[in-house]
Amino acid sequence: MTYAAIVAEHVEKRYQLEEQVVRAVQDVSLRIDAGEYVAVVGPSGCGKSTLLSLLGGLDSPTAGRVFVLGQALDVLGDRELTRLRLERIGFVFQRFHLLPVLTALENVELPMAERGVGKSDRRTRAQELLEYVGLPGRANHRATQLSGGEMQRVAIARALVNQPAILLADEPTGELDAATGAGILALFRRLHADGLTLVVVTHDSRLADDAGRVIGLLDGRIVS
Amino acid sequence: MTWHWAWRDLLRHRGRTALSLLGVTIATALLLDMVLLSGGIERSFERLLAGKGFELRVSPQGTLPFDTDATLDHVDALISALRAEPGVANVGPVLGASAFARRRETLVPLIVYGIDPDVQGIYQIESGTDLRRSDMAGVLVGAPSARRLALAVGDTVRLTGDLDPQIATGLRDRVVTVRGIADFVYDAADQPSIAVTLPLAQFLVGPRGADRASFLMIKLAGNARPDVTAARLRATMPGVTISSIADMVAQFRLRLSYFRQMSIILGTIALIVTVMLVGTLLAVAVNERIADIAALRAIGIGRQTIVRQVLAEGFLLTIGGGTAGVFLGVATARWLDAILTSFPGLPAAISFFVPDSRHLALAAAILLSAGVAAGIWPAWHAVTAPIAETLRSEAP
Repeated sequence: MTYAAIVAEHVEKRYQLEEQVVRAVQDVSLRIDAGEYVAVVGPSGCGKSTLLSLLGGLDSPTAGRVFVLGQALDVLGDRELTRLRLERIGFVFQRFHLLPVLTALENVELPMAERGVGKSDRRTRAQELLEYVGLPGRANHRATQLSGGEMQRVAIARALVNQPAILLADEPTGELDAATGAGILALFRRLHADGLTLVVVTHDSRLADDAGRVIGLLDGRIVS
Repeated sequence: MTWHWAWRDLLRHRGRTALSLLGVTIATALLLDMVLLSGGIERSFERLLAGKGFELRVSPQGTLPFDTDATLDHVDALISALRAEPGVANVGPVLGASAFARRRETLVPLIVYGIDPDVQGIYQIESGTDLRRSDMAGVLVGAPSARRLALAVGDTVRLTGDLDPQIATGLRDRVVTVRGIADFVYDAADQPSIAVTLPLAQFLVGPRGADRASFLMIKLAGNARPDVTAARLRATMPGVTISSIADMVAQFRLRLSYFRQMSIILGTIALIVTVMLVGTLLAVAVNERIADIAALRAIGIGRQTIVRQVLAEGFLLTIGGGTAGVFLGVATARWLDAILTSFPGLPAAISFFVPDSRHLALAAAILLSAGVAAGIWPAWHAVTAPIAETLRSEAP
């Protein structure tokens, strides 16, 4: 029996942009079950990234509610939300956002250090994950010494390091060429096969093809 | 990981970090010098006054020792009365006057101290012997006088006092023998001083010097408190001014309030410069990395960790610049001290920049606090920027 990893109920997000009210997300309700691989697609500016931010607790909806692993996000304070993201949700960004001054290994270790995991355990786990994402020999390279594809793999390892239940990815292949992006696609397939819940915002049709379900957004509304 | 991360961040922009460190170094040196200057000369003066173990001074009413040409009269009786006071162990008179040494046909001006060699606190013997109390034919000369008059221990010199300006002839002459070379502790550099017994000095001064002294120095008994004894003496001897070392330092402080104000103003400017430098660097660094910081918060890195990391960078900058600033500050203090102590009339033993552990610790604490405080706004900015909006604004 499956359980809901993420539930959104009539979620709305409005912004005030100068004198104009922008409705980035309008009355979105959805349920993503544990272990599902969902792609969110749509044209630029349709609200995909905003929806992902709302589902991951990076932003709060103007109306409606979001539940992650049964927990309503609107009742959580900043500290609890941060903890939830640290322990239960992994994030992958289009621009990787690795710390350029740290090595690949140290970047992967960072979320574990935040949890208070000891140094040797951190090292072992980070090394394992770098091997998992196919970068065993790049552990001691600074982020700036890695290619785009390698940086994204390190970012994925960082997202996985605290063994989250959900991985949210925003255009994870957006900055990569086709061949490198294919490697990331393969990695996502592997993660899905390993039972991780994946929600991926993408323009990449190959990613959407891999997903078990595709949610289409237009003007902030689910259209398919 | 905080320090490692902060250190690497600073190293990433070496030029910018080096410039900031240089700024903090200069600001620290200025702050240090101002802290040393603000109280240094007082401490130096206090040490000078206390150095020979005399706790109180008695001077003509309304004056301080060597402040005017005024003298105390009936000195013998006054000394006897003071010696009879409880808590007073001994009393030494000092009569300061002008005299001349005859060198062939020229008169060399000298400062003469008339003292009681058994109870004196104005010189120490460097070579030769001290005077005896009854010595009416002996003199101690300071090194500048010895140089100027080409005198050595055992030489004789003719002293002339009570000079008649009309005929350039002294009314009172005395040939004296140099008993020793002395270091006069209150003298300015190159001050041509000599010391003779009080009766000889009074003789050289003439009738104006009879039974007179410029001031008296009092040594207290071991258990006597200077402030209490001074208060009691003031009550019993209202015709003179009794000053403890603390009183004289307070007067000195009053007269040097300009230095104090200047040092406070410059020290404050140094602190503001430090805060602005470190704050600007950290603000620039945070703004540059604001999207990375937002991403870190997205993956669950707590606000405390981000704040700690930003403050750690400020701390490292302050520690690095501060340490270099101490060396620069000490070097500049020495250089400035050499300039300031060469002002005429200042005792050569005075120093304007005196290190004091309490003040140095205070300066270090203020500097570190300033460095950390400088990181507060950038840190606050880093952790309050809305995550989703920041990431969105940085998106391609």
